[in-house]
Amino acid sequence: MSKLIVVHSYKGGTGKTIMSVNLAALFAKRGKKVAIFDLDFRAPSLFAILRAETRVWLNDYLNKKCEINNVLIDLSSRISGEGKLYAGLADPSPAAMQDMATKGSEWGKRVLSRLISLKEELIGVQKFDYIIFDTSPGLQYSSMNAIVLADLVVLTTTGDCSDVNGTKRMLSEFYTMWETKTGLVINKVLDDEARSNNAEYVKRIEEEYNVPLLGAMPCFCEVLKAEGRYLFPQDKPDHPFTGLLYEIADRIEKKHYTLTCGIQKHHQNTV
Amino acid sequence: MYRQEGIGKKHLAILEKIKANLEKLNEKMDILIELRQVNEKDTLKLPDAPLDVITLLNMPDHLRKTAVAICRNGRATAEEIANQTNRARAMESSYLNQLVIMGYIKKQRKGKKTQFYLAKDGGELL
Ligand SMILES: Nc1ncnc2c1ncn2[C@@H]1O[C@H](COP(=O)(O)OP(=O)(O)OP(=O)(O)O)[C@@H](O)[C@H]1O
Ligand SMILES: [Mg+2]
Repeated sequence: MSKLIVVHSYKGGTGKTIMSVNLAALFAKRGKKVAIFDLDFRAPSLFAILRAETRVWLNDYLNKKCEINNVLIDLSSRISGEGKLYAGLADPSPAAMQDMATKGSEWGKRVLSRLISLKEELIGVQKFDYIIFDTSPGLQYSSMNAIVLADLVVLTTTGDCSDVNGTKRMLSEFYTMWETKTGLVINKVLDDEARSNNAEYVKRIEEEYNVPLLGAMPCFCEVLKAEGRYLFPQDKPDHPFTGLLYEIADRIEKKHYTLTCGIQKHHQNTV
Repeated sequence: MYRQEGIGKKHLAILEKIKANLEKLNEKMDILIELRQVNEKDTLKLPDAPLDVITLLNMPDHLRKTAVAICRNGRATAEEIANQTNRARAMESSYLNQLVIMGYIKKQRKGKKTQFYLAKDGGELL
C-alpha cells in the first residue's frame, strides 16, 4: 500500500497543491487518518489554502527545533465522519523562506534523515494511513528528498509543451534513479478525448510517458474561482472535479493495481 | 540435448560456488563490522547524517538500490530488502554489509533477526 504519497511536477502551477489538499480531504472523508505537509518552502501556500493558525512550522521540525506533533494542526472538524485530517505547514514569512533557500549542504544532509524520522513516527508509531507531501516543482532539494522516500509519486502535468518535454526528461533521468512508483495526472486538459475512461487516450498517454495514468482532469472554472476555499470532497461532493478525484483515489488505493512504470520494469530486467 | 544438460549442471555448480563464496565474504564482513563496533571510539568519526540525496546520486546503481530501500523502510532485514529489490538474499546481504562498512547504515542483531537501519544523528533537539 502507498503510505507516503508525494505530489510533484516539473513546472509550477500544474495543480499539485489543489490535488494534495483534496486527496488528503478525500482519504479523511473515507475514514482514514491523514497528514498533509507543505514541502514547498520556496512558495508556501497551504497556510493560505487551509486558513490554519500555527506558530510551529515544518521548518522547525526539519531544523530540529521541535517534534513532529508540535507541527501537526488538527483539521478533522472540517471533515464529516470518523476520519482524521492533520496538516503541517511551511513557514510563509520571507525571513523563513530566505533562511531555507540559503541553508548549506550540512543542513541539506539532515533533511533526509528528518523526513525518514517523520515517516517512521507517523506511519510506524502513530498509525497514519496516508502522509501526503505537497512539493516545489522541479528538482528543488526538498522535493528530491521527498521523491526518494515516496511510496508513490503523483506526478501532475499539463498539456503545455515545455511541461511535457521537461516531465519526460525528469522521469527518464531522475525518477529512474530511485525506481520510484509513479502515477500521472494530466491536469487542466481542454479537449474532450482526454478522459481516463477513453481507452485509446489512456494508451497513448501511457505509451508517451511510460507511466500509468491515474486520471485526466479538465479545466473547471469553479476550481479556479474557489481559490482553494473548498475541500471539494466535503464541500462540493457532487462536482465533477470531486468525481474524478475519487477515480484517482480508487486507483491509488486499489491494492492490486501495481503502479509499476514501464521504465522501472525495463530497469529491473537489466539488473 | 545431453550436452545442454551437461552445461546446465556445470552452470549450476558454478552458481553454487559463487553463492558459497558470497556467504564466506559476508561472514568476513560481519567480523569486520563487529571489530569496528568494538573500536568505534578509535576509528575516524563519520559525519552526523551521512546519507543524503547527493550521496545517493553518486552511488553505483546496485548500492543505491539497496540504500534507497533502507531509506523507504526505515528498518529492515536483508530478506525484506531482497524481496523488494528482487535480488538474491546473499547478494543483498553483501550490499548491506558494504553500506555498513562505508558508514551509511547500521546493523543490529535482535534475537534471531539482523536489522539494518539508517545511521542517523542523535534524537535530541538542538
Ligand atoms: N483542473 C483545474 N481547473 C481549473 N483550475 C485549476 C485546475 N487545477 C488547478 N487549477 C488552478 O491552477 C492554479 C495552480 O494550481 P496549484 O496552486 O494547485 O498548482 P501548483 O502546482 O501547486 O503550483 P505551484 O507550483 O506554484 O506550487 C490555481 O489557481 C488552481 O486553482
Ligand atoms: Mg503548490
